[in-house]
Amino acid sequence: MSVSKPGSDDFLVLRLEVQDFLIFEVGLLDDRKFEEWTDLFTDDGYYWAPATPDQDDPQSSVSLFFDDVPMMRTRFARLRHPRVHSQIPPSRTSHMVSNVTIDGHDATEGEFLIGARFQMLEYRPGHEQRTFGGRYEYQLLRRAAGDFQISAKKAVVLNCDSVHLPIAIPF
Amino acid sequence: MTEFGLIIETTNMNPYLNEHIQALVQPDRVHRDIYEDPALFDLEMERVFGRSWVFVGHESQVPKPGDFFCTRIGLQPVVMTRHSDGKIYVVYNRCAHRGVKVVNEECGNAGRLMCMYHGWTYDTNGDLDFVTQPEGYPDHEFDKVKHGMGRVAQWGSHHGFVFANLSSRAGGMKDWLGENADFLDDVAISAPAGEVEITGGVHRYLYHGNWKMQVENLIDMYHPAYSHESSSAKGGQQFTRRGGDKGGIQFFEKPGRVKSMDGLGTHALPNGHTWQGGLPPVENNSDDHREYVRLLEKKHGPEKTKDILIKKRHNVIFYPNMAMQELNPHIRVIRPLAVDRTEILIYPVKLKGAPEQMFRDQLINLNKTHSPTSLVQTDDVEAFARAQEGIQSSGNEWILLARKGPEERFNSGRIRTTGTSEEGMRNHHRAWLKYMCGET
Repeated sequence: MSVSKPGSDDFLVLRLEVQDFLIFEVGLLDDRKFEEWTDLFTDDGYYWAPATPDQDDPQSSVSLFFDDVPMMRTRFARLRHPRVHSQIPPSRTSHMVSNVTIDGHDATEGEFLIGARFQMLEYRPGHEQRTFGGRYEYQLLRRAAGDFQISAKKAVVLNCDSVHLPIAIPF
Repeated sequence: MTEFGLIIETTNMNPYLNEHIQALVQPDRVHRDIYEDPALFDLEMERVFGRSWVFVGHESQVPKPGDFFCTRIGLQPVVMTRHSDGKIYVVYNRCAHRGVKVVNEECGNAGRLMCMYHGWTYDTNGDLDFVTQPEGYPDHEFDKVKHGMGRVAQWGSHHGFVFANLSSRAGGMKDWLGENADFLDDVAISAPAGEVEITGGVHRYLYHGNWKMQVENLIDMYHPAYSHESSSAKGGQQFTRRGGDKGGIQFFEKPGRVKSMDGLGTHALPNGHTWQGGLPPVENNSDDHREYVRLLEKKHGPEKTKDILIKKRHNVIFYPNMAMQELNPHIRVIRPLAVDRTEILIYPVKLKGAPEQMFRDQLINLNKTHSPTSLVQTDDVEAFARAQEGIQSSGNEWILLARKGPEERFNSGRIRTTGTSEEGMRNHHRAWLKYMCGET
């Protein structure tokens, strides 16, 4: 499938497909279905949250998150541990995703470049509720209508370079 | 009688008297006030951070003339610069006019430093360059040093690590460093190019606890299996912390049986410095590690290289505000914000001349261990916050630091003891007392 002109029916359908997928994807995090969330990624996929707004490479400086799939599994196995002290009680989150744009398409790879804006509310009982927000950039592979895999998800958080209390759940 | 008693009590409660401060630190315990009394915190900023040498930054953070890097000594803003003479300066970040902070970006490059308020301008060594509309000061003679931003009393560097002291009466940096200088020598020689560089960004995180809790945690081999149990996998081993390593730190010998870290050792040095370890060697057969070993052998020969590769220390405290870890090299700067608020900054240390992939692996491992999203540090931060809450209890006013093992004393003043001994904590409280009671 190629990306048709903005405004065409194909384009609108594709954008709704992508939007539905993103809503589903962030919902898995809010529902604490971390393993299902991990399964959305390709085997060589990654999730990245830069430590500065202009960081262009996850391998030349440190990041808030830079998880390949094995690292995600390690991270979430820990969150399931009965004595993960920094998450007793656990954080609750509410992700919102909007302003979805289709920024590019590689027909040979079947890969779409997607942009979006997000907000994440986070509350851990006993602590102040926090608000994170910023920009998502995705590389999605389209397997079939409405069926995507994530080869890359990047979350550029507005205050990523601030000093933070612990953060447990991906943006 | 009652009145008399009241007077005595009031006098005793005055934290500004040395007798009172001394009573807070006992051989095997310390009073909770030292972690939660704002008056003592203010005094620490003046006496510990104002009298001890403190870590400022690394020369590689200001490589070119005009480069500046802003940080703090205690609560005081300072700026480390490289002036046009190529030398490093540590200057109070304050305009001589109305006290406005002059440099407002964390780092950058400038020909001169100009105050935003009335345009007073300084050289990058802190000297006053010019005052705007000088005709308005008919009775005032400006001196470029006296009316400069002001340089701190002393500063110096060892392998590029810059330390400063606000007190002109304090002894020299080398004396303060003591055997910690040998550690910086070891770090530098472990880089094939013989020097290190601070690069690769910074992790910063906050905790709701006193700054001394971080100092104590870094030399506490008693806590990992309990605090960090969730980061150990089946088999009781933590994930690896270095690229190519075959395994991580062993927390448990078998399920439910904690492996003692006593064998690793604690080394308490004069001036509050302490180091632990080193960690037992871990097998590493990655191509990058082999290439790294080859580069070291080329320079130093196989015997010396073997010695370089033994990590003799784990966390090394440069009391009061810096710690360094050699396994996955990084610096940790402890920045007190308030009696119950502390910011931590983690700077990767790059071994110059080592294979590039080693540094990339190092950064990824630092994300695991020291990002605000880390799988390890977050549990320490949780412990600090719960400690800060717990010590509000008046049921027990003391923090127990009585754990000990056999001790061996060296001529340098160093004490070697067991890994889970709390001697390192007692050591830093002894230094604290020395600074707080003015015996610097």
